[in-house]
Parts: sequence; structure tokens; C-alpha cells
Amino acid sequence: MADQKTLGERLAEHGVSRRAFVKYASWLGSLMALPPATSRAMAAELAKAKRQSVIWLSFQECTGCTESITRSKGPTLEDLIFDFISLDYHHTLQAASGEAIEAARHAAMAENKGKYVVVVDGSVPMKDGGIYSTTAGHSNYDTLMETVKDAFAVISVGTCACYGGIPKANPNPTGAVSIGDLVKDKPVINIPGCPPIPEAMTGTVAYILSFGKVPELDHLGRPKAFFGENIHDRCYRRPFYERGQFAHAFDDQGARDGWCLYELGCKGPVTYNACATMKWNGGVSFPIQSGHGCLGCSEPDFWDKGGFYVPLSGSIGPTAKLVGGAALAGAVAGVAAAAVARHRKSSLNKG
Amino acid sequence: MDLLDFARGPAINVAMVVLVFGTLWRLLAILFLGKPADRTVPRLGMPGPVGAALREIFRRMVPHPTFAFAERFSFFNGWVFHIGLAIVVFGFRPHVLFIKNLTGLSWPTLPSGVVYVVGAITLVSLVAALVRRLTNPVQRFISGVGDYFAWFVTVFPVITGLVAVGHVGARYETLLAIHILSVALLFVWLPFGKLFHAFLVFVSRGTTGAFLARRGV
Amino acid sequence: MNADCGHPAPATSLADAVFAELAHALVRLAETGEETVVDLRSLPFGPSDLEALSEKLGTGEVTSTLEVAGRSEVRETGWAGIWWVRHFGDGDEIAAEEVHVTRIPEILVSHPDDVAFAARRMADAVVTTGPQEPTAADEEDMSRG
Repeated sequence: MADQKTLGERLAEHGVSRRAFVKYASWLGSLMALPPATSRAMAAELAKAKRQSVIWLSFQECTGCTESITRSKGPTLEDLIFDFISLDYHHTLQAASGEAIEAARHAAMAENKGKYVVVVDGSVPMKDGGIYSTTAGHSNYDTLMETVKDAFAVISVGTCACYGGIPKANPNPTGAVSIGDLVKDKPVINIPGCPPIPEAMTGTVAYILSFGKVPELDHLGRPKAFFGENIHDRCYRRPFYERGQFAHAFDDQGARDGWCLYELGCKGPVTYNACATMKWNGGVSFPIQSGHGCLGCSEPDFWDKGGFYVPLSGSIGPTAKLVGGAALAGAVAGVAAAAVARHRKSSLNKG
Repeated sequence: MDLLDFARGPAINVAMVVLVFGTLWRLLAILFLGKPADRTVPRLGMPGPVGAALREIFRRMVPHPTFAFAERFSFFNGWVFHIGLAIVVFGFRPHVLFIKNLTGLSWPTLPSGVVYVVGAITLVSLVAALVRRLTNPVQRFISGVGDYFAWFVTVFPVITGLVAVGHVGARYETLLAIHILSVALLFVWLPFGKLFHAFLVFVSRGTTGAFLARRGV
Repeated sequence: MNADCGHPAPATSLADAVFAELAHALVRLAETGEETVVDLRSLPFGPSDLEALSEKLGTGEVTSTLEVAGRSEVRETGWAGIWWVRHFGDGDEIAAEEVHVTRIPEILVSHPDDVAFAARRMADAVVTTGPQEPTAADEEDMSRG
């Protein structure tokens, strides 16, 4: 539960000096490409900030987003975020259960009215009264609307919460919608990805904590600091694209030599995320580096864009069948037109 | 569905249907038309119809010596943008992938950088062709709306393609969608306007050649 | 350039440009006291650029290692007032790398709030334990040290 101590005081009690904030702000400032002066201000503001109450709601999701944010090996820089926030409700991480945890959620909401942040992973089913996903006897929709009522901001974590994601994939059996479709009177920040890059989640929370405001967002509600550039523009395989060197199959020589994966369906050119620069697991790698094209998981409806292995310049839909039908119809029409013209000519000659 | 999904999906599918239907319709209607029985005796010493057709096709690739100087611009510039268009369409990997995705056919392509340069040269050449059409009194006199529209649907994909690879003015997915839509427009118009010469040019020249050879011209 | 033939990597114009920028920043520090931070990760540097810049800057008298939320290194370069700062994150990955133009990097200085907090605790320690009779807890501390 949030208390009145500043983060600086809290860390000092645990024997951690305010240097931690300087370091944290340097790291985050570098990730978010903030001017150095802003990073310094961030360090000062973080030390003075109160612990941020966070209520984490999980709807139609797979818990992969939670896995992503909690994947750290030791008590290091990246984990400081857990000292900065008070995670007052989280299905997977909470120790309490049943009535007790629902009471904790209500207590956190009452105590931090207008100040708490709601993090949501998963989409909300709307079909048939929302019966396809419920907690504590309430539909996800009811829980969401009740919880965000007094929130400062809502952070949608993962593509399901941001844009409906996999539950919303065609034919969308549960009538899944995104959080942004439902919450209209609060700032909704989208951190998409399947899962999102952990630094994008923690960085956004730390930004809100430091500056008390929502970072600059793009037209899809994503922080520009993390989603401002597409994968293709920052991809280390880009020179192969320019040279026209493409892997034609996953096991050919081009693939072994690390050539561009455009032909194998890479969606890097139309996917905005920080994978190519920040990478995953503390900078170890990212999908393209591991030899597979980008799926475009941080974009809306990435599941329904005509196939992961269809190159971006290829058409989607039953083009080949349509063209075959058109060819047949065109041939019939052409021969018929010629026959009509011949018939007319011969009847003219006779007449 | 966003703009790119629309372009890659319904738009290009409809355009392909119109292109294939329209092309086969017009082409077969002409090829099966037949020609009236020619009861004249062919001139002696002239090549047969096939030889004459081929001779005419190649002969028309360069201007008649009488007009070689006067037509030097149209001759040179015409070759530049035709070859340029062919290189851009069939030498750029993403374009070939469109065909491969549809038919399974694929062939080696050029480095993207080379294609960008060729594309830019093609654009300049197409603009020069328009300037010539507007400034030359004779060409201007014989040009109609169909000529200018044909020019537009040809140059539009070249411009949008260059803008897309150059990443100018908008996000890449938007630029790519506009490029694909511009190609869709070209596909839809191609069978019905003067651009149909892409399919008919050698048919008409060959037919003329065979006909004239029989007459001894 | 072949990496295994023993030649140093070529200094690109980028390392030279940053070096020149740092020279200007150092003039500003000397004349007006204005501090500058250059985030090396925000620059399109390759490993050879970093090496080239590091070589040009050289090594000074101070090298320090910090243990604060993981390891950090602060190194004075051969030019007084220019410091090379590296922060490590999870798995000893470099999380941030900066060049500071300052008399002393902020992270080395004890923060006033930390000093005040320590002063209170230390005063408590003087009053409650006194110098003569160490408590069991203090003994435990000493055995650990």
C-alpha cells in the first residue's frame, strides 16, 4: 500500500543511496532519448516522488506480459521499478486471494483516489454480456469501468489490451475490444507488443512517476520514445535490403549469412517498436537477429494481416483464384466479341 | 482494416481482376477477329508474312533516316523510360515478390540502390516526355485527354514508389499503401486506354509489316 | 580494415566530431562552469568509434567502481574535467554509457538528503550504543566486514 515516504527515503532505509536515481534516470533517459538535462530532472523528481499505487487488471490474456516485465535475473537497475511502485492488485503476483484481494483493490482505489495508475493486460469480451471472462463474479467490463473511475491514467500493456490482440482475431468469438475502445475519459497509454519490451513498460511508468504526466504518444496511443521508429529503419540487416540480398528460405545460404528477411514475410517496415535498438533479455537479441522475420506484434490486428510469411509487397486475399476466374471470363468475353463481330461482318457482306 | 490492408487486399485484388479480364477480352477479341480473304497475288521477292512481321517490328524500333534528326529526342527519351520502367518493375525484389506470391515465378533481381537510381531517371524521362508533348505544337495538337491520363497513371506509381522508398512526408505504411493504390489505378486503366499498346505494339506492327510486304512496300 | 592484422580500427569522423564537441564543452566548463553530458548510446557509434574516442580521450588519475543497483564505472579521462561513465544493468550488460564534462560526476557526490539521513542515523548510533560496549548486531556487522 502506498505510504507517505518519498522514494528517496524508502531506498535510503534499505541502504540504497540516491545515486540509484541518478543511475536509473541515466539509463531511462538514454532509452527514451531524453535530453541529459531532462534525465537529471528525472533523477531529482523520482527521489522526491511518492510510491505509485498500481492496480493491475488481467482480462483475456496469457500472462506473457507479466512474464516479460518480471524477467530479470538479479536485483539490478531494471528491478528498481518494483521499489518505485506499489503493486496493490495483480492476479498472478498477489499473495492474498478471494474477498481479501478484492478488498485490497477497493482500499487502494479509495486511498489513492485520482492518483493511482491502472495497468491492464488482456482484451475485454463484450459479446453475450461479457460472460466469457469474469473475476470475482464480475465481468471484465464491470471490473474495468469500476476500477478506472478514479484513476489518474490507464496503461494498456500488450497488444490484447491495446488493440484487442489475439482474442479479437477473426472471427473474434468473444466480441473482444481494446481498453481504449471502452475508456474515453482518462488518458490511455498503449504499450503494445506480444509481449511488450519490459523497458517500454517500466520506462513509461517511471516517466509518469517522475513528471506526473503522460509521455508524448503517437496516433495509436503509443509513447513515441519507444514506438517512434519502425524496425526496418533501425534493423542491422537493413544494408542487405539495400543491396538486394534476401534470404529466399529459412534454410538457404542467404538465411545462414544473415541476409534480409523481407521475402520471408518480415513486417519490420510497417512495425513500430524498439526491438531493433533495445532488443530483448537485457540486449541479447531480437526476433530478426534470431533468424525470423518480424510478425508486427505491436501493430493493431497483426494476426489478421494476410499471413506472417507473405511478403509485404504480396497481395492478400484469394488473388490467384480471382485472377484465374477473371482470365477465364475475359477469354470467353473476347472470343464471344470476336464471334459477334465476324457474324455481323458476314451478314453485312451477304446483305 | 487500415489503408495498407485495403490496398494489399480488396484494392489490388479488384485491380488484378479488371486487368486480367480486360486484357484477355480485348486481346482475344482482336486476335480472333480474322481478316478478310486477300485475293491478290503476293509480290515476288518479298519475305513471307512472319519474316515481314519481324522485319517491321525491328525496323520501327529506330526512326526512319529521313526523320532521325527531327525525332532524336522522342527516340532517345522513349527508350529511356521504357527500359527504365522495365528495370524498375522486373528488377526490384519487392515487385518480383508480388508476382512470386501470385504465380510462384521468381528471378534474380538488382540491388535496391540501383533500382532507386533507375527509378529517378525514369521519372525525369517521363516528365521530359510530358514537357515535349506540351511544347511541341504538333504533338500538342494530336494529344487528347487519353494521352495525358495514360501519362498520369504511368508516372503516378513511379512517384509514389520513389516517395515510399525515400520515406518522404508520411509514415512508410501509408506511403506503401498509396503506392499500391496507384498501381491498382494503373492496372484498372491499362486494358482500356492507350497503355494497351503494351500488349498490342508488336501485334499491330507485325500485322502492318506482313500486309505491306504482300503489297511489295 | 581487417580486425586480426593488428592495426587499430580507423577513427571515423564521428569520433573526431564528438571529440571536437567535447573540446568546446570543456571550454564552456572552464569559462562559465556549464556542464555537459553526451549520451554515447544515442549516437550511431560502432565499437570501433567507441574505441577510437576512448583512445583519444585517454586515462586520467581517477578510476572508481560503484555498486548501486548493479555495477557502475566512473573513469577520469586524460583531460581534466572529462569523465567516462558506464552503468551496467542486468547480466552485466551496459545499460548506459556517457561522457560527462564536469568537475565531478553527480553520481560520485553524496546527495545532501543522503548526508542528512546518514547524519541522523550516525547521531543515533552514537547515543544508543556508545563507543565502549558494542552490541550483538554491531559484532555481526564487523564479522561480515
